[in-house]
Amino acid sequence: MIIRLVLLSCAIAAPALAHVTPPVVLASDRDAITTLLPGARRHFVREVRLTEEERQAVQKESGWRPEEDFYRFYIGRDEKLHDLGAVAFLTEYTIHGPVRVAVGLAPDGRIKGALVVELSEETYPWVKTVIDGGLLRSFAGRDAHEPFPRAGARSSMSAFYADIVAALVQRAALVYEAGVMKRQRN
Amino acid sequence: MNGIQLSRLPLSGRIFCTLFLLGIGCGALAAFAQASTAVGVSPAAVQASLAPDLPVTGMHHGEPSGEKEIDLGEISSEARMTIRTPLLIQTSHTHLFGQTLIAGLVGLIFLFTSVRERTKAAIVALPFVGSLLDIGGMWATRFVSPSLATLVIVGGTVFALGYVLIAAISIRDLWFRKEAA
Repeated sequence: MIIRLVLLSCAIAAPALAHVTPPVVLASDRDAITTLLPGARRHFVREVRLTEEERQAVQKESGWRPEEDFYRFYIGRDEKLHDLGAVAFLTEYTIHGPVRVAVGLAPDGRIKGALVVELSEETYPWVKTVIDGGLLRSFAGRDAHEPFPRAGARSSMSAFYADIVAALVQRAALVYEAGVMKRQRN
Repeated sequence: MNGIQLSRLPLSGRIFCTLFLLGIGCGALAAFAQASTAVGVSPAAVQASLAPDLPVTGMHHGEPSGEKEIDLGEISSEARMTIRTPLLIQTSHTHLFGQTLIAGLVGLIFLFTSVRERTKAAIVALPFVGSLLDIGGMWATRFVSPSLATLVIVGGTVFALGYVLIAAISIRDLWFRKEAA
């Protein structure tokens, strides 16, 4: 009897897997890149590793220190290989789970658009309020140094997450400026 | 065990144990479905979610930048989550507590079954061992070698195998075992 039970149990349990905190993924990376780089015919990946001086400069400017080993940009170009813009993905790990944002940047460093691509079940209602309120649209045309929109009269949690999203968008612009634009100028 | 046997429980006790085991089983099925959609059900999918993000441009350690052309088709069109270290910490703490509590409670019911002591000891250990392999495998995939993603699959399978054995034997004792006089 026990042997039969073991065999039956093995058959039932074989495909079982571990599980992780349920995410809410609003867009795939490919969809985000396509949306934020309209018109691009060719796509490139550029990875930049900031020097210690560049990290310090960003920190001095914004109070945030880039800690990742490297940052990845998806660059869109036309047929003649003119830059049309770049997309970066940045994540903030909050106590309620991750918030991951895709940020579209023009070649001059101005923000073209932003999408929230991943968050957690818990943060979803708060962030949805922020998205529905038009926060993402309000970033368009700003560069890394203009004051970013602050949360309006929303709930305190929505306001908290609006600030998180705004910080991520600004960080993408700062890293693009430090790791791509300034290096091209020099 | 100490004179208590599942087959001797009053009706209320048998219903309680049965519904608890069924509830945990439903939760396990939901967890499996969630794992399938959020991460994937193969070592490669676990590896893609957990392994460290390495440069794809061939940029070596210490190099300031790298660039290469890609086809958009190389970028996933599927909405898959990535699990970086902060999320791994969150996941570990909630799941180690949760899975250990589940293993403890279903194991507690199983302790009062009629199987031999050695068999009982082996089966009751399975969900605990599975949890440790499962969560430990996630850390090993991230920090030791991506090839250890298999440990996560093995861990989840051992946990589920333990649960199925515990539930099946317990329900057999609760409802179908004739009481020995």
